[in-house]
Amino acid sequence: MRIGLLTESGYPYATGESGRWCDRLVRGLPEHDFDIFALTRGRPAPVGDPPVPRQVRRVRTAPLLGPAALAAPLGGSAGRRWRRRFAEHFGQLVSAVCAPGQRQPAGSGPSGPGPAADPGFAEALYGLAELAREHPGLPGALRSEAAARILERACRTPRALPAVNAAQPADLLAVAEELERRLRPLSLDWHADDEKGLGSLDLCHATSSGAAALPGLLAKRFHGVPLLVTEHGSGLREHYLDRSRAPLGAPARALLASFRGRTAAEVYDRAAVVTAGNTHVRRWQQRCGADPARMQTVYPGWEDHGLTAVAEPEADDAADTSDSGRTLVWVGHVEPSKDLVALLHAFARVRREMPGARLLIAETGPRGGASAGHPESTVYTAHCRALAAQLFPDEAASALAVGDNPVAFEPVGGLEIPRLADAYTAGGVAVLSSVVEGFPIGLVESMFAARATVSTDVGAVCEVIGGTGLVVPPRNPRALADACLALLRDSGRRARLGAAARARALELFTVEQNVSSYRGLYLELVSHCPVEREEAGPDGGPLLFGRTAESSVPGSWAAAAAPVAVPAARTRTVPIAASPVRGGVPHRAGTAPDPVGPKAARVLRGGEGRA
Amino acid sequence: MSTHPTPPGECAEGGATPARSGPVRRGSVDPVRALMQRHRALCERAVDPLEIAAGLEAHGVTDRTAARFRHRDVFSLAEELYARVPRAAQAPVAPSVPAAARAERDRPGARGLLRAAVYLLPGVLATTPAAALLLLDEADPAVRFAAAAAGLVLVALALRPCLRRGPLRVRRGARSAAPAVCWLLGYALLGDGLLARGLGTAEASVSASSAVLTAALVFAVAPAAWCARWFAVRAHRGLAASRHLDEFASGSRPLVPAAVTLFALALGILLLSAETLRVLALPDDPGEYGRHAVAPAAVAALGILLFVARLLAVHGRPRAVLVGVGAAVAVEASALAVALVSRLPGCEALAAPVRAAVAAYGPAVVPLGACAPAALLLLVLATVLLARASAHSGRPAAWGQSTSRPAARAEPSRDSPMTHHLLGDEER
Repeated sequence: MRIGLLTESGYPYATGESGRWCDRLVRGLPEHDFDIFALTRGRPAPVGDPPVPRQVRRVRTAPLLGPAALAAPLGGSAGRRWRRRFAEHFGQLVSAVCAPGQRQPAGSGPSGPGPAADPGFAEALYGLAELAREHPGLPGALRSEAAARILERACRTPRALPAVNAAQPADLLAVAEELERRLRPLSLDWHADDEKGLGSLDLCHATSSGAAALPGLLAKRFHGVPLLVTEHGSGLREHYLDRSRAPLGAPARALLASFRGRTAAEVYDRAAVVTAGNTHVRRWQQRCGADPARMQTVYPGWEDHGLTAVAEPEADDAADTSDSGRTLVWVGHVEPSKDLVALLHAFARVRREMPGARLLIAETGPRGGASAGHPESTVYTAHCRALAAQLFPDEAASALAVGDNPVAFEPVGGLEIPRLADAYTAGGVAVLSSVVEGFPIGLVESMFAARATVSTDVGAVCEVIGGTGLVVPPRNPRALADACLALLRDSGRRARLGAAARARALELFTVEQNVSSYRGLYLELVSHCPVEREEAGPDGGPLLFGRTAESSVPGSWAAAAAPVAVPAARTRTVPIAASPVRGGVPHRAGTAPDPVGPKAARVLRGGEGRA
Repeated sequence: MSTHPTPPGECAEGGATPARSGPVRRGSVDPVRALMQRHRALCERAVDPLEIAAGLEAHGVTDRTAARFRHRDVFSLAEELYARVPRAAQAPVAPSVPAAARAERDRPGARGLLRAAVYLLPGVLATTPAAALLLLDEADPAVRFAAAAAGLVLVALALRPCLRRGPLRVRRGARSAAPAVCWLLGYALLGDGLLARGLGTAEASVSASSAVLTAALVFAVAPAAWCARWFAVRAHRGLAASRHLDEFASGSRPLVPAAVTLFALALGILLLSAETLRVLALPDDPGEYGRHAVAPAAVAALGILLFVARLLAVHGRPRAVLVGVGAAVAVEASALAVALVSRLPGCEALAAPVRAAVAAYGPAVVPLGACAPAALLLLVLATVLLARASAHSGRPAAWGQSTSRPAARAEPSRDSPMTHHLLGDEER
């Protein structure tokens, strides 16, 4: 089937963590055709074709930021009627944005009022999209004086949010400019019904709930293409964090936040399935009005970097006296939020109880390939080294040997630790001492490496570790030391926890698990929400009898031999088998049937309980 | 699995309950108060509870932390904070001029001198061919054309940095009126000669007087940049100070006429000194005083037309520019065409009005008649259009600013590990 991947993160041009996920997904599903619709940020897209796998049929790119072409093309300016309709729709949009959020029905999600899907907002959005299809003057109209006046009027109404009442012209202009950028996807030429457009897709997969999801919304609205939304970080939350640093007045921030929230709510409302990369994102999505019945948590999956080949620890007494059995290992990028100071204090306590213990601090670069050598982290590393030298004097085996420090700072990729796996091989227990943490990927890696872990209870640690490691409160070196000692002294427990952790990680956090989840979701969506299309004949006219009558009949009436007592849930599986979504389109003919059959059945059985 | 020492998932209260033998934490009956104190800036600045929730999470507050404050989740904790902390008074909008630019303005140093040099360079370069033309007054027309062409190339190169950066930079990609402007400038240099040749009164040539006046016009780039900057900064200051769009419109309406007047004064002084120089170097027969005033007036009209057009283009109104400049070009081109056509047999009568006007006031009457009404039209349009707030979105261009990206978009600095949550760290 043809899947439209709507990206905002720079894939296929940039290679961030999110881009890598898109790449893994596309490469993992060679049986489908992908059309990539990329909104690039900032600089225009690089010249030339990015390296994409063969199943990507087309890459279409549009800049999300940057200057807009304001002047209308030579066709002349929009007519009076167009402008009047624009004023109408834009007025409706901004009055919805200015209105306070509706209270969600009780019990549908986390407490309190949050953005909820707003029919007025949605209608205005689609109205603007229709206007943009008729005439390319939407960006210019959004930045015009008329738009600013409409915005001002909406802010001054008594029903508006208190924060926006005091909006000044500078705020209004900043908001109009930002709205123009956010609504730029409406004006793109992606919405055509032709072979290249969104209308020819079987499924839209948006990788954010913001601007990238807007084309998906329109495809859903105008062509009936089902929409799948995946978020690995809450877009709304990132919006708040970004905007809180921007030099904007409070009214402008309030308006933009309200717009972003309402967009997300509308996207969640229209999406057939919303998937979250972890529970934290899921909570934000639910807060924005996503329906829990249509939500799923799908962990994005991480490459194991050869960690699954690391041998499981031995559970015998020899392990307790071996070097690796007495070594704690910490892997990560040294920065203040990792609280290595607490780790060193805890280790001092461990040494008091168990004099042979060692600590290996394996320094990796920052995650996501960000610029290395941040001054703050450099200073912190130096501080930690000084503290380690102060707390632990160098020690040697005998009076004649050269000593070394029980705390070793080694860079991964250096002489001592050439690969990440070697860091885990060298240690028996992996420690995580952060005070602030998002989704701890380091913890996932130590689970892949079958190491028992001691972590602080921050961020998503409990979600990741499940029951397969010890968790202590943050900023509590004493508890950390006790937990480490408990594991260092008990090799059997260490081995059991390590094996359980590896099993859990292989079940939940592998790339294959992620890809197969999406394979199932795609098939399920296309079978439940097929796109209704007129079959076109060779001359472009409607093709009579292009689709068999049975294809739209629920149940297996066509198959006379089918038993009468078909279970209710089974009936939904039939459209896949009877009609692979679109009979008349040649490019799918060869690809669909073979790989789809058994998998579809399997996936649907899995999906029945959920739906 | 044994439960020693801390079973996973049972640690929510661990941080709050004091350790048995450790130091007892100082506690208060209102634990939220301390949190409020710590995140006061965040709470005062927040526009809704979700913003506080996002900020708290970036500082490591999780649902289990929120449970310590007797809340169900971070969202409800954020709501309490939002309700309890009064919003900060509306902070004054950021100063219109960036701090760096202001410091630079207050303390003109080497950069200021360099800037002045950049804007004066085209004028200086333009004087060379003008002086050469003055000296080569009796020389072969081909030599004079060559001198004029060389000067043009130099001036065009020197004008590039003036128009690509700073206050005369056109920000957004739009249909350009550059061909029309080139026509106007070319006519100022060559038009009089062509017209005279078309009418059969003289040979086509670059006259020294038009070259001198054009050089003065090129000098006017410096005051034009200064006036444009003054206008943008004043308008932006008005934008920051006004509370309504109408208030801004009424306050900023006199700005365009004021800027144009300032520029016209500067241009007048330049033209006057150029004319004085020319008369000193090349004294004419004293019988044509009235005709001498027409040529500088035509150049002044052209200068004002170009200035207003640039102002409109800088503030995102390229269509108005096309209308005004296009009208002037049409008038000039039709005069020239009529003059050329009149050489055909039987068509002499067509050029009679042009011929009469040129006989009375000299050939400069044509550009004056073309540019003055167009300049007036554009002035009226600019007074109306540039008094609107929508013409002043974004910061006024700083002197050295050359990129076409809007300055308002500040790239977020992502310093907290919570911010690049899992897959959120995108490479921009």
